[in-house]
Amino acid sequence: MSAHPQILVIDDELQILRALRTILGQQQYTVHVAHTGEEGLALAAAIQPDVIILDLGLPDINGIEVCSRLRTWSEVPVIILSAHENDQEKVAALDAGADDYLTKPFSADELMARIRVALRHRARTSGAKAAVIQAGNVVIDLAAHLVTRAGAPVKLTATEFKLLAYLASNAGRVLTHQSILTHVWGYAEDSQMEYLRVYIRQLRQKLEENPRNPQLILTESGIGYRLMT
Amino acid sequence: MKPFFLILRPLWRVIAAVLTVGGYSVLLILLKDYFTTSIVALLYLVPVVVSAAFWGGLAGITASILSFLIFNYYFLHPVYTFAVSQPQDILAMFVLLGVAMLISNLMARAQQRLQLVQAREREMRQLYELSAALTGQTDARRVMHILAQRLETIFPGTVAEIQVDTAGMRFAIREPDEPVQHPAANPVRVPLYASRGQIGQIVLYGHANVISLDQERLLQTCASQGAVALERAILAENETRARVLEESDKLKTAILSSVSHELRTPLATIQASATSLFNPDVEFDPEARGELQALLIEEVEHLTQLVGNLLNMSRIEAGALKLQCQWNSLAEIVDTAMRRLRRSAARQRIEVDVADDLPLVYVDQVLMEQVFVNLIGNSLKFAPPETPIRVSALLEGASMQVTVSNQGPPIPAEHIGHIFEKFYLIPGMDSMRGTGLGLSICQGIVEAHGGKIWAENLEKGVAFRFSLPNVSQDNLAGLLPEEEE
Repeated sequence: MSAHPQILVIDDELQILRALRTILGQQQYTVHVAHTGEEGLALAAAIQPDVIILDLGLPDINGIEVCSRLRTWSEVPVIILSAHENDQEKVAALDAGADDYLTKPFSADELMARIRVALRHRARTSGAKAAVIQAGNVVIDLAAHLVTRAGAPVKLTATEFKLLAYLASNAGRVLTHQSILTHVWGYAEDSQMEYLRVYIRQLRQKLEENPRNPQLILTESGIGYRLMT
Repeated sequence: MKPFFLILRPLWRVIAAVLTVGGYSVLLILLKDYFTTSIVALLYLVPVVVSAAFWGGLAGITASILSFLIFNYYFLHPVYTFAVSQPQDILAMFVLLGVAMLISNLMARAQQRLQLVQAREREMRQLYELSAALTGQTDARRVMHILAQRLETIFPGTVAEIQVDTAGMRFAIREPDEPVQHPAANPVRVPLYASRGQIGQIVLYGHANVISLDQERLLQTCASQGAVALERAILAENETRARVLEESDKLKTAILSSVSHELRTPLATIQASATSLFNPDVEFDPEARGELQALLIEEVEHLTQLVGNLLNMSRIEAGALKLQCQWNSLAEIVDTAMRRLRRSAARQRIEVDVADDLPLVYVDQVLMEQVFVNLIGNSLKFAPPETPIRVSALLEGASMQVTVSNQGPPIPAEHIGHIFEKFYLIPGMDSMRGTGLGLSICQGIVEAHGGKIWAENLEKGVAFRFSLPNVSQDNLAGLLPEEEE
């Protein structure tokens, strides 16, 4: 077993595989490759990778199904790759347990950033949960229910804190509207979206340097939100 | 039930004739002393004519015979017997019978002719109504519906089914649209013949098994009218389909010619830069190397955007634009669009005047962001450097009015109505890169949201404006529940 993080790439496009193998190999990752969903699932069970990169357009089974089948026995972070036109599919895959997504075409920087977040998140979930999260000059102490910005305490309402806490405990990862609504409000209905928009604006006004050019809480159009650390 | 009524109806007529003659006879018997027998014989023609006129031949003949008998019994000597003593009375009696029968017969024939004429007239009216209803129909299903409805009116109590089976289509329409109660009962089938052979058939369920010759003739006429209308509609549909295909073919040609240039330019840059970087004989200094790499990235981004535009356009064209509408903050959408435009907007100042506490709008976040990216991107392309671009949104009445304005050159009046058309480029401005897709995508997206988009020349510059109709009732402050901090 190599000490380098193991990455499993499930994609049927040879050129993409070739590029990813080279790029990831350069970054000291050990790369495994599967061309179909079934092969990917089998390989995932055999090598127990640290991160899975999964293309949604596989020839045999739907990427969403790969996610949900994987989730029945594994918590390994899954980053999905998808073509631009199927936003709905991305959301479905995320709701089925994928951790993050990249839209083709994507840059190597974006891919690396996502992989780093996924690895960090994996380390965090497998070990003790981080109680203190730092994002820019904002520090979120989940245990103490304390949020400071540049050292000064920030007053948040209960819902604002709940929302921020959920974003923070998944720092760096995209969270779908649905999962945010379910975690913070307990149920996900279209009408609840209005509250989510309002609370996100409130949080940005309290935490961002410039709420109109947010650096901490990013909007992922059509998908959800992401807290950057 | 029906046959029973059919027997009863002539019976009632005969009874009516009997009653009329009987009543009339009572009156005559009471006034017996005032009339001679020959006058009475003459007077008996009245109930006969009345019966024949009102209740037809059978009633007329019944009235004739009854009058003959009563006249004999009550008025001819010896009275209260059917015997006749005077020979002249015998003559009067048989003249009455003869004339009465003749009149009945004539009246009945006139009646029949009238009924025939009325039936013809009704038929003509029904056929006229059918042809009027079918005129100008270009939708085959609609034609079938009309035909079935008319048939159901013309033949009450039946279920009319129209079946069409041609190369292009195969379906059936039934009126009233309910399951046939006795599908086994022999339906009446009439083929629909058009100029190129049979295109389907009419099936009439629930009609009495035997239909009269007249009804069959009517049904045939309806069928031939229906077949002609149906054929016309099918041909029209085929023609429309052919035209759509031709249009889309033209569109594809236009896309190819417009896009191939746009695709080649970045591809040429990419090829040149990549092969240079790959050339082992050339030592690039870091600056040149960086420049080539930056070019690669920029041109790839350019290509990506182009492909995205083409995809969006083809989806709008195909009517496949599925809106994922949610309540969205317009400010958030503009801010996200600005983030995407950050790099290309470096040379210009973009002033955003979209308050973040405006009421939410019910829109597709991704597509609406694309509208802003395209409109602002368009302004960035045409406005001179260092001039500001303004993005603003205001609530006007029940809709949100959005404006993206720049200080670029005015759009010539003859072009301003066309700039939202696909591939429309203003002549003389083609030094700019463009496919003429950005604005038509904006239009497609805004209209899919039920809004309108247009361009206006300002005193200084150009404004692109669009409206969004689905705006939430409350502004944001009103939405927020009170909560302890």
